Amino acid sequence: MIILWIGIPLLSFLLHFIPNTEDFPITSLVAILIASIGGTLAAAMLSTSIASEKSRHVYDLFLIRPVRRRNILLAKFFAVYFCLIIATGISLILGLIVDGLTIGILPEYVLVQTSESLFISLAGMAISCSIGMLFGILVSSVPVAAILSVYLGNQLTALSILPTVFLNFINPILFALIIGILIPTFILTISIMTFNRRQF
Amino acid sequence: MQQSLSENNKELVKFSNVSKRYRELLALDHISFTINKGDIFGYIGPNGAGKTTTIKILVGLIKDYEGEVYIRGKKITKNLNGLQEVLGYHPQDVGFQEWRTVDHLLKTFGYLSGLNSVDLESNIQEALNFVNLQDVRYKKIIHLSGGMIQKLRLAQALLIKPEILVLDEPLSGLDPFSRYQLKNLIKTLSKEGKTILFSSHILSDVQDIANKIGILNNGKIMKIGTPDELQNEFQVGNLIEIEYANSAEHCIGIENIPNIESIKHVNPNRDLIHLKSNEDLDLSIYNILKIITEQKCRIHNFKLLKPSLEDVYLKYVGGEIKRV
Repeated sequence: MIILWIGIPLLSFLLHFIPNTEDFPITSLVAILIASIGGTLAAAMLSTSIASEKSRHVYDLFLIRPVRRRNILLAKFFAVYFCLIIATGISLILGLIVDGLTIGILPEYVLVQTSESLFISLAGMAISCSIGMLFGILVSSVPVAAILSVYLGNQLTALSILPTVFLNFINPILFALIIGILIPTFILTISIMTFNRRQF
Repeated sequence: MQQSLSENNKELVKFSNVSKRYRELLALDHISFTINKGDIFGYIGPNGAGKTTTIKILVGLIKDYEGEVYIRGKKITKNLNGLQEVLGYHPQDVGFQEWRTVDHLLKTFGYLSGLNSVDLESNIQEALNFVNLQDVRYKKIIHLSGGMIQKLRLAQALLIKPEILVLDEPLSGLDPFSRYQLKNLIKTLSKEGKTILFSSHILSDVQDIANKIGILNNGKIMKIGTPDELQNEFQVGNLIEIEYANSAEHCIGIENIPNIESIKHVNPNRDLIHLKSNEDLDLSIYNILKIITEQKCRIHNFKLLKPSLEDVYLKYVGGEIKRV
């Protein structure tokens, strides 16, 4: 979480000082960074922690209590996802402050682009997290879970949000909202069903 | 059936014809046994015998099995139907989320078990005091020793003050002092009225603690009974062992007692003899002691030979034994 909450805003801030990017709004940069790095980190974190906890029988003591298995998974998913949202919030606020100090008042089109990027990022992160969760449940080996979630998870997430880049007739915010809800819901349902059937 | 079981308050746990198969492996083969209120049921068998599978079925971690399991006369179905509050489970090799503190872990488990914050606080204090972990309450789990982790497993099992404690290999991997401490804790829990099922592959643990023993091998219950019942069932004849103080002072005439059928010098160096009595064992003992007293023979030891629990275990399990 420290990496997400401090590392990514700091990275975004530093990237702003790369030559020839001074005029590029940091808020847009932050949204892109959060989606790719944050999503990948969260997916890897979820998949490895679930795979490792499964192999160490950590869930045994949760599952013997009167709590539904799906709640354990959903709690884990939302804990990580909310941390990402907080990281995004911190980064964007920092970006807006820096932009405000360096560029001045941001033009409206920048704010629109930034909010579009933000929605796409949040959708991408939700997809990444759900993919990470699925790999954590399906795979027993921690390294394999990490590799799958980082590489395959990242590709699948990118694939999901690609239409917003190439199809101009799509409303990016609406599209991000739809895929950001539908795809994670579908993947989480598969994850929960798999977890429910699993013998511990 | 369910009604008759529930009427019998003494019968807390009942396994009836339970089988469990993992693909080709038959882990449990039609096992049946009951645990009554107040029992310390020692479930012993070699590694891979099916002890953990039995326990996981009981605590609801394994749901896919054949047969019936009852807790307090209530049949376990897919869900434990609220029976979680009756059971405290100490798993064998379970890991904890090590970033948590002891306090955080117990609070999480407490809330998940449905305890309110007032009860939870007192239960946490009580459980930690019982296992003597109050000093590490706010320490992270990653900083605890193996013995402390084992005690923490017991503490979380006690958190809800369960009627039945299910302990899977609670003493494995502990140093002798920690084993001694934990055995005493288990005995104390039994005195407090808890019913305990504990598994072990170490005979001495079972012998020290259990008042009822189930021997499991290859997924089958080989024998169940109290330690005395198991030992008595193993017929070795009415053997009396006498160990003389020295070879010069053997009593004269013992071999001529009418009830003594045979006499065997087991170990001449230790002046050890075994006398086989006929069925009237009491008369044999009386006559032997009479001769010893009259002749003032000096003896080191005089005892009736019973099979050890080790003999019984070996008979049913076939040689795999670990003594500590």
